[in-house]
Amino acid sequence: MTVGDVREREVERLERVPGMGGAFARAMVPSRSKRVLLPERAVTVGGVRQDADRLAEYARVCGFTLRDDVPPTWLHVLTFPLHIHLLGSSESTVKLAGAVHTSNTMTLHRPVTAADVLELSVHLEGPRPHRRGALVDLVGVIRVDGEVAWDGVTTYLASGARADGEPQRAEREPFEPRTPHARWRLPGDLGRQYRRVSGDPNPIHTSRLAARAFGFPRPIIHGMWSHARALAALESRLPPSYSAHVDFVKPIALPSTVGFVTSEADGAITADVVSRDGAKPHLRMRVEGRS
Amino acid sequence: MTHNAVVIGGNRTPFAKAGGPYAQASNHDLLTAALDGLIARFGLAGERIGEVAGGAVLKHSKDFNLTREAVLSSALAPTTPACDLQQACGTGLETTVYIANKIRLGQIDSGISAGVDSTSDAPIVVSDPLRRTLLKANAARSAADRIKALSRIRPSHLKPQAPSVNEPRTGQSMGEHQALTTERWGIDRASQDELAAASHHKLAAAWEDGFFDDLVTPYLGVARDAILRPDTSVEKLAALRPAFGGPQGSMTAGNSTALSDGAATALLASEEWAAAHHLPALAKVVDAEVAAVDHPGGDDLLLGPVAATGRMLGRQGLSVADFDLVEIHEAFASTVLATLKAWDDEDFCRALGLDGKLGTIDRARLNVTGSSLAVGHPFAATGARIVPTLAKLLHQRGPGSRGLISMCAAGGQGVVAILEAV
Repeated sequence: MTVGDVREREVERLERVPGMGGAFARAMVPSRSKRVLLPERAVTVGGVRQDADRLAEYARVCGFTLRDDVPPTWLHVLTFPLHIHLLGSSESTVKLAGAVHTSNTMTLHRPVTAADVLELSVHLEGPRPHRRGALVDLVGVIRVDGEVAWDGVTTYLASGARADGEPQRAEREPFEPRTPHARWRLPGDLGRQYRRVSGDPNPIHTSRLAARAFGFPRPIIHGMWSHARALAALESRLPPSYSAHVDFVKPIALPSTVGFVTSEADGAITADVVSRDGAKPHLRMRVEGRS
Repeated sequence: MTHNAVVIGGNRTPFAKAGGPYAQASNHDLLTAALDGLIARFGLAGERIGEVAGGAVLKHSKDFNLTREAVLSSALAPTTPACDLQQACGTGLETTVYIANKIRLGQIDSGISAGVDSTSDAPIVVSDPLRRTLLKANAARSAADRIKALSRIRPSHLKPQAPSVNEPRTGQSMGEHQALTTERWGIDRASQDELAAASHHKLAAAWEDGFFDDLVTPYLGVARDAILRPDTSVEKLAALRPAFGGPQGSMTAGNSTALSDGAATALLASEEWAAAHHLPALAKVVDAEVAAVDHPGGDDLLLGPVAATGRMLGRQGLSVADFDLVEIHEAFASTVLATLKAWDDEDFCRALGLDGKLGTIDRARLNVTGSSLAVGHPFAATGARIVPTLAKLLHQRGPGSRGLISMCAAGGQGVVAILEAV
């Protein structure tokens, strides 16, 4: 995924990070359009200072040690209101309702500290064809002092939507069931805890009723919590600069107990969040160091 | 086979007042930060260290393996073992003695001693009746039994109990105990305020000189000890109201240590390991001793180190005047002053079973870069702050320079040690 073409787009500059209430409500209204229309513009906000108390709580909820350098998943959280801003705009036919977060890739180009002042940018790319609909990428870039420190690609599947072309085959390493070497116990209120620190108000993570409306018997934990928790579990093994790719294979219902298993080969770390018995994957992550 | 255990260096977070900039940081966070700074300074990333010994005085029960967990969060090899030790305010020195002894016996060739405390993140304890009721409900076999157990909870049980530093046997706080000692030894207000002001001024000068540049790593936006008041003065301190010892008391918030947050570490090794890793050997750990007093029987709570010092010096054939530098932990200004008086009191020392008084020191050799009154005192961290500080000072003075550390601790205990520059 290239992130370099932000400069050529029309850029909407915001004074501050937008609130998520109204935009989120609009982004939750399902779209009936089969044709995918996306806003072309990039949205940017500069001079963003990080909230130290919220960062500390984010670290506690996700299992990170509180350090001067922030987790890259925290940087994703900071760009999330811009995702909603774009998906909630009238030009977007892709809405959060009915869209499934299928995968996420992020690269930490250099350590970012809690004191760094950030410039956040997000734009949409796609659609790409998929056998069950169309894939849309939300591309985020964070700059510190004009230099790219982090970038991330959040991929949503808009079910039932159409995009031209042949679906690309997802290159995924075959899953081999293994006995988990760690067990995570996810409490019933974890969705509520993560909502408080991420600001993601999607009710499928907190309300049984809303979860049922979208076809889940119980609320499910945010994929980005599982991603963060998996990175937190690796903590001291992580190099100063790395890329992390995750595939969200199967949602985790709350409360539940899941397994975690890692392996290292060829300078890359593979980490899977799996069912308690290790038979089925929930999330698959691959971390590669950058020199 | 015995080896020399040498101090290579140290690293700590800046110390800060409780509820301040580290209010969101746990003991685990603070200790990991101090360890990672030490690892970065001495190039220990991925290294398996012989053992890490650390501790905290105020510790959550979930942190039973606090130090080992911090090691796993740090950049050290995950195969580095660790243990938790706790000896109240003496913890950071006791962990140093533990590591040094293992090195001297050849059981390990490298080790890290550490201590951490967060009074901001202190465990809140539920009342004893509530705790017992909850344990009973937890063990109940049926829902009915559980409800029956829980029905015994009374509103009075629900008041949470903040951690207390009261002595369990006397019901008195450390400050109240020290007020009795202050009175007994006739320590006046002016000399306490002078010592406190000097501590701030010496610490400020050391920071100005860059002395702490290779001993401290910034954390959460704090780059210097946040309790330090470079512009304090005897006059300003004289204006403070008494905090202990009643309205006529001489102990104030200015000449007593503040509740603090912070973590400290010291790297120790055999001389061979230090040489093989091209790391400097600053000073060797020569000897150490722990003593205790009968404070429930009326002894001065914080004068435990006097007997420890006397016995250790007797064994080494040294007197207090033989030391180039002396570090007496400033729990309270009057603790330091009472300790100095006790050293020079023939009757007191003989009553401790010593051969005679320990003598006097040149005050210019005492706490030369400031101590706990100015730096702050995260209980378990202080010993691990003093050890690398003193080792560096002795190294600057040249081989053979001797330093004495004296630390009082709750429970009427005292931990003392001798370092000597190599």
